[in-house]
Order: sequence, then structure tokens, then C-alpha cells
Amino acid sequence: MSELEIGGLILIVTTLVLISGLPIAFGLTAVSVGFLWTFEGVSGLNGLARTFLDELSGFALLALPMFVLLGALIGATRAGTDIYEALHRWLVRVPGGLAIANIGACGLFAALSGSSPATAAAIGRVGVPEMLRRGTPAHLATGAICAGGTLGILIPPSVTMILYGVATDTSIGRLFIGGVLPGILLVIIFSVYAWAVSKWSAAGAATVARVAEERVYTLGEKLRASLPVLPLFGIIAMIVYAMYGGIATPSEIAAIAAFLAFIYVAAYYRVVTRARLWPVFSAAVRESCMILLIIAASALFSYMMSLLYVTQSVADLFVSVEMNRWVMLAVVNVFLLVGGCFLPPVALILMTMPILQPVLEAQGFDMIWFGVLMTINLEIGLITPPVGLNLYVLRSVAPEVPLSTVLLGSIPFVIMMILFMVLMCVFPGIALWLPNMMFGA
Amino acid sequence: MQSFTNAVNRLSQALAVVASVMLSAAVLVLCYMVARRYFGYSSYWEIEVSIYLTVGATFLASPFTLQTGGHVAVDLWTRLLPGRAQRMGQIALALCGMAVCLYLAWIGLELTLDAFATGERTNSMWKPPRWPMFATMPIGLGLTAVQYVCQIAALAAPDTAGEPVRHAGREQPGVLS
Repeated sequence: MSELEIGGLILIVTTLVLISGLPIAFGLTAVSVGFLWTFEGVSGLNGLARTFLDELSGFALLALPMFVLLGALIGATRAGTDIYEALHRWLVRVPGGLAIANIGACGLFAALSGSSPATAAAIGRVGVPEMLRRGTPAHLATGAICAGGTLGILIPPSVTMILYGVATDTSIGRLFIGGVLPGILLVIIFSVYAWAVSKWSAAGAATVARVAEERVYTLGEKLRASLPVLPLFGIIAMIVYAMYGGIATPSEIAAIAAFLAFIYVAAYYRVVTRARLWPVFSAAVRESCMILLIIAASALFSYMMSLLYVTQSVADLFVSVEMNRWVMLAVVNVFLLVGGCFLPPVALILMTMPILQPVLEAQGFDMIWFGVLMTINLEIGLITPPVGLNLYVLRSVAPEVPLSTVLLGSIPFVIMMILFMVLMCVFPGIALWLPNMMFGA
Repeated sequence: MQSFTNAVNRLSQALAVVASVMLSAAVLVLCYMVARRYFGYSSYWEIEVSIYLTVGATFLASPFTLQTGGHVAVDLWTRLLPGRAQRMGQIALALCGMAVCLYLAWIGLELTLDAFATGERTNSMWKPPRWPMFATMPIGLGLTAVQYVCQIAALAAPDTAGEPVRHAGREQPGVLS
């Protein structure tokens, strides 16, 4: 069997195993051990335990459980409701203001939680019923939360980008900063869409009429609602400032952010009793255990691919093919888009980057830029069936909205995201300008 | 069998508590390190301790993660099977999961014993022995395999109707709550 045939076999077997319902971490381990044993014999299995453990004991990966803890701390409190309420008071008079408040709240919450389903759950739980009650069209209400939630992996700190940085050996700080501008632009684009739908659609006109009857909040009321959100802003500002100044590594920043969030959550939201601490910490260790075991298993997988010489052969094949670099990029992105519909971003990045990185570098693409592009691409996978984690979250927070409406509502957002990716190809500066300005080109 | 399952669940939750403490300790150690550096001291043991704690927390939390359905899985075709076949499929999957965990626990144990016997240390200034970190792998994944045994028992028992395998996102009441 040639290396490429083995590669094809690995692709088929891995796909079948991963969609069988076996946990991804254990499925990847089984595939890796199976192929090594079949093609290399028992000697191929030497040192697997070390590969597994070495992958986990890198300093850069420490950032991950720390940011997960930060997300769990924010997620277990009413912080999501408070962010939402503050934005709602400022935006109540704007057409589609409620949907915009939701998108903005998603962006802000995403920055802290670093997880897309967590963002969709926290903001959607308050936002969707509220929007439906006030006459926002159901497809806009669910679409805004679905798409707004995906910003969790784009706006820093982002678990996905930490992994991308570890897998491709690029600067996590640069990746984080690179995601800021695209994240803000997407929030603006989504908001303009929500505003336009509300202003011009029939159902939207009814909302606007109803909004006119809404009470107007005084400046004092607006500021009072904003007060509990300010420390959260402070934590985000600290993260960005520390990255910008190069004061600390991402892992250290993550630890300090988690520490500060804990102090705030304990002081303001009274998360001090065992009954309230347990949900936070059990969610944090559960989530980080799940992600880190997938990472370790992916290390076994890439070790297997590389030992069987599949990684090198497939990369060589891609490099040798005479293809326009933009066609190549499109092919890669379609592949990732399809993969992202089935696999969580974590597993997909770690499995594909060893092959894709040499190919992309040979074509002269910037790896920071591609990291941001890939993150947006993987966001789309979160709101498309069959896996689409955010869709399931929406199902649980708004069971009265039929799944078809949820799907229909997310389509315009998917189109906007794809167009935004094209825009990023035309203007790479969208992702690169900010990090290059901060860290130097 | 039920009392065995209860005991395993309680042990899994206890280890999750230990993992929570280890993760919090790792956060504090890193904050302490940054604070010390601010005053001009250099770090010595802090990085390695925080790595040991986080790796340990990862493995020790694994049985609890399985118990509460937290190991993310993509279930595209088993749920399409009719009732009885679906249960057989779930048992087969749990057996596979158990085999993988047992294998990982076994090679982890070999590595731990080897590191203990040779007195392997990290190559930093502080040079701590490596076996305590390695040891969390066979402990955590071994108990994850035992947790799978409980799952299989629950699936095989004729009186448990419905869906015995817990799905992600559903929090179980813990020992502390």
C-alpha cells in the first residue's frame, strides 16, 4: 500500500469511528493505535504514553484550563443577564435594537467565556424569550443568538486560537489580537443586518411600532445597569493590555484573568458557598479534561500519520499540484467547512494543521491571517447541521421555535460570514493590521 | 451492582473535587509567579508545579467527565438504530471506550513504573521527579475504564428503560451540592 492509499484508508476509518458516538478522545486513540499496530507492528506502539503525556505538559497549553475556568466563573453567574440588560437599556429605541443588544452581548460575553455554545446558552437563555415576547421575528431572534454565539472563538481569549497557535507554532498573542478587528466587524455587520430586517420587514415594522411605546430609560438607569458590567470590561481590557505590552505570556494572563474573575464573582455575585462553587469548578474541570484529552489523543494521531509517512506524502502531493493559490485556499476552506460540520474545532485543527501548514506556507499565505480565517470558517460549522452545537443550544433555550426556523434564521448569517471570509482574502489587513502594528511586522 | 456503581460514582466525584483544587492551585501558583517577577525575582519551581497540577487535574477529572457525559462525542448513526439494536450499539461503544481507557492506563502505568525505577527527572533547574505526574494517567484513565463498566452494567440491565447513557450538558448533582 502506498502512503497515499493508507492516508485514504485513515480518512475513511477515522470518519466512521468519530461519528459512531465513541468519545472523540478515545476514538482518535483507537484509530492511531490500530493503524500503528497494523502497519508497524508492536514496535510501532513504543513511546505512545510519552507522546500522550508530553503533549499535555507544554507551558502554552496551560492557558486553556485557565481560560475555561474563567468562562465557567462567568457562565455560572448572572453576568450574562447583566451584560444583556445594560445593552438593552442603551439600545431600546433603535430599530432591531433588541437583536443588536443580543449580538453585542454575545460579543462581550464571548470575549470572556471563549466558548461558543456557552455564549449562545448564556445570552440566549435571557435574550430569545425576551425578543420573542417583544415581537422580534423568530428567525432573526434565533439567528442573532446562533451567529452571535460563534464569536466566542474569534474574540480573544479563544480556546480555538490557543490550539491553533500550539499546533502551528505561531504566536498566540498575535492570533488573539488578529481576531479583535474581524470580531468587532462581524458584530457590526450582524447588527446592521438586524437593523435592516427590523426596519424593512413587515413583522419588523410591528416591532418598531411597539418599541415606540416602550419606556425610555433615564441616563441614571442606564448607568446603574452598566455598573456591574464594568469590571468584566476591566478584565478584557487587562487581557488585551497585557498581551499588547508583552508583560506576560498567555498562560500567565489566563491565570490572572481567572483569579480576578473569581474575586469579582465571589464579591459581587456571592459565589462563595460550596453549593455555588461546585457547579463552577465541576464544569471547569469537566470541560478542560474533555478538551485536553482530545489534544493528547490528536498528538497520537499526528504521530501515527507522520510515522506512516502520510502527513509528508499528502503535503507533498498538495505542494506538487499546479494550482492557483486562491483555488487551493478555496479547496482547503471547503474541506475545513465540511469537516467543521462534523467535528468540534479542537479536533479538526489538531488533525489537519500538520498537513495543511507546509502546503499553505509553500503558497506564501500568512499563518496568523489563516488562523483568523480558519476560526471564522469553523464558526460556520457551529451553526450548520448535523453537529452545529449552537443549534442544539438554541433548541434547549427556545424549544417553542421549530428547528426549521432556527436553521432558516442562521442562513443569512452563514452567508455574511462567507462573504466576510472573501473580504479577508481581498484585504488581509483586516486580520493583520492590528497585530503587525502592535508587535511589528 | 447498584452499590458498586454508587461507590464508583462517589469516587469519581471525589477525584473531580481533587482536580478542582489542583486547577485552582495552578492558577494561584501562576499568579504568584507573575507577582514575584514584578518585584524582580525569577521563577524556579512555579512553571513545573503548575504544569504537574494541570496535567493531574486533567486525568483525575476524566472518570467524572465520563460519568456526567462530558466527553464530547458525535453520535450520527447509532441513534438512528431501533431500540434494541441501539442499546447493543451503545454497549459495543462502551466496550470500545473501556478497552481504550484500559490500554492508555496500562501504558501509563508502565511509564510511571519505569520513571520511578530510573529516577527520571525534568531537565530544569528544579529537577523534580517525573513519576508523580505520570502516575495520574493510569489512576484517572483506569477509573474511567471502571466507570465504563458501570455504564455497561446499566445498559445491560433489563429494567433500565429509556436512555441510560447520559448526554453532554446535563449536570449531575455532586457530592458537595
